[in-house]
Amino acid sequence: MISGRRHRKSGTGAVPGVLSLAAMLVLWVVVARISDNPRTMPGPEAVAMRLWQITVTGELWFHAGMTLFRVLASFALAMAVGVALGLWMGRSRTADHWLNPGLVIALNVPALVIIVLAYIWIGLNEVAAILAVALNKIPVVTVMLREGTRALHPDLDDMAMAFRMSRAARLRHVVMPQLAPHVAAAARAGISLIWKIVLVVEFLGRSNGVGFKIHLLFSSFDVAGVLAWALAFVAVMLAIDIVVLRPWEARLSRWRRDED
Amino acid sequence: MLGRLRLDIRRGQRIAVLGPSGIGKSTLLRIIAGLDRDFPGSVGGDERLSVVFQEPTLLPWRRALDNITIPTGCDPALARDLLARVGLQDQMDRFPRQMSLGQQRRLSLARAFAARPDILLMDEPFASLDPDTATRMIALTGDLLDHSGAGLILVTHDAREPARLMARPLMLRGDPATLHEDRQAN
Repeated sequence: MISGRRHRKSGTGAVPGVLSLAAMLVLWVVVARISDNPRTMPGPEAVAMRLWQITVTGELWFHAGMTLFRVLASFALAMAVGVALGLWMGRSRTADHWLNPGLVIALNVPALVIIVLAYIWIGLNEVAAILAVALNKIPVVTVMLREGTRALHPDLDDMAMAFRMSRAARLRHVVMPQLAPHVAAAARAGISLIWKIVLVVEFLGRSNGVGFKIHLLFSSFDVAGVLAWALAFVAVMLAIDIVVLRPWEARLSRWRRDED
Repeated sequence: MLGRLRLDIRRGQRIAVLGPSGIGKSTLLRIIAGLDRDFPGSVGGDERLSVVFQEPTLLPWRRALDNITIPTGCDPALARDLLARVGLQDQMDRFPRQMSLGQQRRLSLARAFAARPDILLMDEPFASLDPDTATRMIALTGDLLDHSGAGLILVTHDAREPARLMARPLMLRGDPATLHEDRQAN
């Protein structure tokens, strides 16, 4: 007999989430105490102090703002190009045959190689930085969208064709709603990958941004500073995920609910 | 596989294409609808066509009213009028998933008439319905055809449906398949 235990009523997961964060904090305090070396393993209070300092001096807003600008610019570029390429390759077998070898190579080129080459070929400037990040992400978005496009319902295509829907109406009302879960998945996976690559790009060749600050702090072995900047930016990216991406995803899947 | 055949129809005329499964009835309908272009021959005429598919084939992410206005580009007032005619006036704001299969089929029928067709193409539209629902759907289709004056090409394997819709039965048979007058039904 199948038991009903799998469907046991579950809460929102907030309590275990908070407890798990508290456990990590306690572990951090314990490790900091044991190591007894505030320079290489500072405790949470030292990091909190640094976080407060960079916040009140305004330093955090400027550098986090620059990083966020690079994240959003390269994210927009990667999503636009990746969605277009994925749609094209999913729809046209010829396009897929011609572009797939390049896609496989692009997926396997290390991020660092693309960044270094972009700086050498284009120069140590903003265009190279944003392009390098976008180029790292485009192949992943393309693959996710190509698979999504291959799974489009042919009967809805027939319906759109039978009613002579315009190309724009077809894209907006028939194709994109089917691709929305794939776009949302690519967006959420993409934004977390992109901000990590942006820090590397800034570390290697920019004179502002969180990555640049971490570069400076690394030179002086300032671990409390590195952790303060990293935590601040993790908070920013989590806020974007919770405030923008999740509600957007929920809105897109509204029609899946049985009742209003 | 389809052989040489010729089919002429004008607004107001009703034809039913009968035949066993796999003979090519749906292929013939797809060719007429312009969904299948890989065939030697031509489809002529400037009549406006509209299709009722075997499955409702609705946009699951759009509400009932939008499922009529978006594909056909018709006025929302006409869409509301047609929804009322098929008995879905209370379902306008529902997503297809929130409707029964019978309601989805009526929505699909309303959509087809919203395109103001000269000829309505129907591909086994009553096949998977229970007898009562099928009877109601056939009556509704007949009413909407009378009201709009549209012609009909109905593809079906049920020999009783043509008479109920007052359609001239044609038999698709042979290999390659060709069209013949269905004398048995007359």
